[in-house]
Amino acid sequence: MRRIVLAAGISLALAACAKKGADPERQIGPNPPLPAISQYLVPPMHVIPPTPWGSASPSVPADLKVQPFATGLAHPRSIYTLPNGDVLVVETDGPPEPIHRPKDIVMQMIQAHGHGDAKAGMDIILLRDTNGDGIPEVHTKFLSDLNSPFGVALVGNDLYVANTDAIVRYPYQPGQTSITAPGVKLVDLPGGPIDHHYTKSLVASPDGSKLYVGVGSNSNITENGMDAERGRAAIWEVDRATGAHRLYATGLRNPNGLQFEPQADTLWTVVNERDELGPDLVPDYLTSVRDGGFYGWPYCYWGQHVDPRVRPQRPDLVAKAVVPDYSLSSHVAPLGMVFSFGAAALPSRWRSGAFVGEHGSWDRGHLNGYKVVYVPFANGRPAGKAIDVVTNFTNGQKAHGRPVGVALDKTGALLIADDLGNAVWRVSGR
Amino acid sequence: MPNADSQSIVKIDRPLHPTVLGVPFVCFVAALITDIAYAQTFDVIWKNFSDWLLAGGIIVGALAAIVGLVDLARPSVRSNWLIWPYAAAYAIAMILGLFDNLVHSRDAYGAMPAGLVLTVLTVLALVIAAFIGVPLMRTAVRKVVR
Repeated sequence: MRRIVLAAGISLALAACAKKGADPERQIGPNPPLPAISQYLVPPMHVIPPTPWGSASPSVPADLKVQPFATGLAHPRSIYTLPNGDVLVVETDGPPEPIHRPKDIVMQMIQAHGHGDAKAGMDIILLRDTNGDGIPEVHTKFLSDLNSPFGVALVGNDLYVANTDAIVRYPYQPGQTSITAPGVKLVDLPGGPIDHHYTKSLVASPDGSKLYVGVGSNSNITENGMDAERGRAAIWEVDRATGAHRLYATGLRNPNGLQFEPQADTLWTVVNERDELGPDLVPDYLTSVRDGGFYGWPYCYWGQHVDPRVRPQRPDLVAKAVVPDYSLSSHVAPLGMVFSFGAAALPSRWRSGAFVGEHGSWDRGHLNGYKVVYVPFANGRPAGKAIDVVTNFTNGQKAHGRPVGVALDKTGALLIADDLGNAVWRVSGR
Repeated sequence: MPNADSQSIVKIDRPLHPTVLGVPFVCFVAALITDIAYAQTFDVIWKNFSDWLLAGGIIVGALAAIVGLVDLARPSVRSNWLIWPYAAAYAIAMILGLFDNLVHSRDAYGAMPAGLVLTVLTVLALVIAAFIGVPLMRTAVRKVVR
């Protein structure tokens, strides 16, 4: 009898260990090892509750220093630096998602455990640091009453804000600390009533004629039906003058951090891949975006690996799926990215690559993400292992903060939006 | 005439559980229909129906199980030996139903084919319980045993 109990205990322990996940370092790079698919009675989960920063702060390597740029914000998620140095911080959150199945009730309770109580401002704050000491003197409300905004892009005197359901254009004059003029809608974007992935990342093309917007999927893997995914899991190309749009690239489950790599004028993005196939599936990734490229979602991942949960299958689409450029490892939840070629306030070793804000995992026994990493680039492509730059957002049991969007300020320092700590952090050279 | 000391009266009472068996039974049978529809059509609306029916089935099934436990606590119910295979069949159905709910928490077709198999097995166990329930309810009389 004792042997049976011992065997059962060991099996359970092994099963629990299997949900923790292997060392994420193994999966970082262009050729991540991909384990076999596991499906579960209860998927691996580790959601940690928030705790205030207090006197603690994030950690950086010895040649950098980190200071709070702004605190006491209302769920800041995305940052945009205007040409005159003013910093726009988007305070936002998603609309509540409807309950479609019993699982939604349980999952919403579990996810709520990891979120703070702060209500999002649904606005954009302007911060101005006139003397360059890293402490803004001016803090004004730039734009209010927005609808789950995320992406911002300025072209000339046209300021574009990507709400979850539309791109809206406002007139902007340099030096303005707030905009009172009404916005003009450029184009509708897929929004509610489900809006599972609501963040609409936005970037203008280098010549300023087009806008690229990331539209995330409306589910994990089509469990809300294929109709709900029309126009989703894609990067749209929108003509700035007319609002005409087309799908520039598809099959990207939740693309964010849209940025143009300055040396080759190529569009790059970070993508949040799917859940509940195991702690080490599917790796989130950083990739260049090909015009007309199909990147797999929902039918397959990392090239031709078929997801058995999606029916009817499409072997024709699976065959032409593009393999992404660089894996960041699984469940890190990358939500922001900025190229560092203009990071003049940082030592030179940080100035030829990309910073990625990793919001952090829930679908894994051992936590992953909850940090900002640096991916070195060479000849316009990632070259080498990602390096942890800003850490200590969590101590493993609780989370002080979670990085989301990243941007460079006018001095070339790195700014990080922290939506759990309700702060913006500024990283510069020591 | 028999000696009064050698007589013993065994009281047998009807259990309450078979009268409420129908509630989880209907939930799981309906879930079987929606599971088959999902497996045939891949339309997620059928999967959502299944998820709710299975959740409802296990919740009312658990409430019925409480009724069954009250039944088992009564010696007059336990004295009918048929209560044991009946209770075993129902307990197996509830365990299968619980696993079925967990498998159905997977997204989209990830719940298949295990979800359909478990629903079939759960309904089978409930049908067996129902069949045992027929003679079980019929033998509920006061019996005199020597």
